[in-house]
Amino acid sequence: MSPVSLHNFLAVGAILFALGAVGFLARRNLIIMFLSAEMMLQGVALNLVAFARYRGNLQGQAFTLFILTVAACEAAIALALILMLFRRRKSLDVSLWQDLREPELEPIVDEEPLPAPPEPVELPRLTPAGPEPEHPREEASHV
Amino acid sequence: MFDDPRNYLWLIPVLPLLASVVTALAGPRWLKQQSHWPCIIAAVCSCFLSFLVLRAVNSGFEDFKRYYMWFEAGNVSVGFTLGADGLTAVMLVTVTFVGSLIAIYSIGYMHHDPGYARYFAEISLFLFSMTGLVLAENFILLYAFWEGVGLCSYLLIGYYYARPSAAAAARKAFLVTRLGDIGLFIGILLLWSVSDHSLDFSRILNNATEIDPGMRIAICLLLFSGAVGKSAQFPLHVWLPDAMEGPSPVSALIHAATMVTAGVYLVARCTPLFGVTPEAQLVVATIGGFTAFLASLIALTQSDLKRVLAYSTISQLGYMFLALGSGTRNEGHFLAGLAVTAAIFHLFTHAFFKALLFLSAGSVMHAMGNVIDMRRFGGLRHVLKKTHWLFLCGAGALSGFPVIFSGFWSKDEILADVLEAGSPGSVGSFAYLFLFCLGMLTAGLTAFYTFRAYFLTFWGEVRIPHEAGEHPHESPPVMLVPMAILAVGAVALGLILGPTGVFNDFLQEHWMVSAFPHLLPFKEHHHNLLLMVASGVLALVGIGLAWWMYVRKPASASELAQALPGIYGLSRNKFYLDEIYNAFIVKPLAGFAQVLRVIDLYVVDGIVDLIAQVPRWLGMLARPVQNGLVQFYALLMMLGLAGFLLSVLMR
Repeated sequence: MSPVSLHNFLAVGAILFALGAVGFLARRNLIIMFLSAEMMLQGVALNLVAFARYRGNLQGQAFTLFILTVAACEAAIALALILMLFRRRKSLDVSLWQDLREPELEPIVDEEPLPAPPEPVELPRLTPAGPEPEHPREEASHV
Repeated sequence: MFDDPRNYLWLIPVLPLLASVVTALAGPRWLKQQSHWPCIIAAVCSCFLSFLVLRAVNSGFEDFKRYYMWFEAGNVSVGFTLGADGLTAVMLVTVTFVGSLIAIYSIGYMHHDPGYARYFAEISLFLFSMTGLVLAENFILLYAFWEGVGLCSYLLIGYYYARPSAAAAARKAFLVTRLGDIGLFIGILLLWSVSDHSLDFSRILNNATEIDPGMRIAICLLLFSGAVGKSAQFPLHVWLPDAMEGPSPVSALIHAATMVTAGVYLVARCTPLFGVTPEAQLVVATIGGFTAFLASLIALTQSDLKRVLAYSTISQLGYMFLALGSGTRNEGHFLAGLAVTAAIFHLFTHAFFKALLFLSAGSVMHAMGNVIDMRRFGGLRHVLKKTHWLFLCGAGALSGFPVIFSGFWSKDEILADVLEAGSPGSVGSFAYLFLFCLGMLTAGLTAFYTFRAYFLTFWGEVRIPHEAGEHPHESPPVMLVPMAILAVGAVALGLILGPTGVFNDFLQEHWMVSAFPHLLPFKEHHHNLLLMVASGVLALVGIGLAWWMYVRKPASASELAQALPGIYGLSRNKFYLDEIYNAFIVKPLAGFAQVLRVIDLYVVDGIVDLIAQVPRWLGMLARPVQNGLVQFYALLMMLGLAGFLLSVLMR
């Protein structure tokens, strides 16, 4: 019996999962939601690893490796999607994407609207040193 | 393979079936105007095999049956038996021989028709069904093929399906025969229930005497109702004249020579059953005799050549049933053997001469640009010399011209049998005596209307409808040669097989002795010279009258029609049977169908629509859940998961 028992691992896993779930449900920023989902995933992975160690075999470890791989792929796809969504609405708010609802339902609007986003602050700029390199102008507008 | 005839029995129906499939698949695209080859090769091969079967039967081949497995599951095995005996062999030869000739004739007749391949595919399918029908050894297989020939008949009557009259005629034929078929099917089911759940011919027919008499009458009448429909006997005869909408070779093959004789075959096959049920026999004979008379009356005034022939077919089939029904017992002798022989002999000769007549009519149509109304042409003996002689052969046989022609011998046998059944001492002799008089009268009428059609078509001044063009041409040899072969049969078969008794001996020896030993002893057949003279004189009188009325004094026919408007109108309008059926059966049923339609639309459909509304209402309740918020869905998932886990934990 190791000094750190199975229960401790499971507790940490459960806390991670619960935090992730709460974050996923409560936050409206797409990136935060995505990170919360990842956190839930890590809670599960931790469970698996803990049980693998407890049982003394490698099945849980193998699963965890799979989960990591899948999570990596998922991250790539999810971030790409989020990027596209942001480009459409210039915002990461998930409640802007309510279009896929029953036709006659009214959209759900916040009772007290979100505070207006702060004015973009002019960041201090370094004085350009040397001549400006040649690059196409449009790229700047893409981000 | 050819040593044991049982080995190739299955090929007789299967070859035409193959031809049908090949023609249907490859015909329209690749074979085109060569589509007749599969059909003709199959028909001729089947004909050859049929003759081998006939030879084998004639040489006394025993137990001519072969069992074929259809499927087997556990200890249930389902199969069917094909078998041949004297009756089957005769039918096979008739069907395949006449069928081959008509298929060859069709090459010329259907030349350059757009549906060439379809035509030959359907003819092959018909040959498959018909040969299967006569080879079947049990009632279910017989019924299946029975419907098969009905289907082919429907398809071929409606061959020119773009013509509304043809489509209507096809539908009428199918529905009217179906009425009889329902009776046939109920009869078969009854047989099944009384015969220890077996439908094999041999099992049932050998035990025919053990069936309860009342039940036996019911079964016989129900079986006969199938025959009435298929063979166009009195209440259900109305479809056959309309069936002439099909191409002429089809009329010759299906609606004269083969399919319509299926009913005669069925009743003949069931002779062991009918032979011990005199009540049913009297019904068969009465309907047959009455139909023969009625149809010949109608045929007197029809102006459509093919319709005259159609009514003569109905009339001749009536003769066959008259014969089948007169096989009663007379002073210790059973007449069944004699009567059935007479009926089958008439069937055999009739197949030849009626096919010949229809093919000749087709040849006339071919030359006249598809005009078949006898009022519009005349004097064709100068134009169509060969067709004229061939038609004359057929007409002579149909009218029973004495001694030379086959029809005389077969019809004479029938009349002799009916007279025998009507002699004192037999069951219902008075009725049979009356039927005999009716038969004699019909014989005279037959001669008259046959030669009326002949004289109207081929005598008088030459009149040609404009559809025929300037120079109507004789049919090509591919049409004339099959007709000539049939003509030889129509003329010579009677003289070869009738007086010598070859046909009778063959059927008695190779079929009846083993099939219905309980109807022994047979009465010996002998020709009744007085009757032969009488029927011959009647035929000659009929022919002479026709000659006098339509050649000598052509005006007398219309004068007679004007003098007797009532009778003429009745005959001309087919005794208004179509109209009566229309008013009393078709119209009420159509009204009933309308009522049912309303019920279907508003009651049945209403209930179904109501049931369909229920899920919609339920869906209305669930709709607000679908609000488009991703996090709301995630929340529901979480709650669901939590609920599930709770239910697991609390259990």
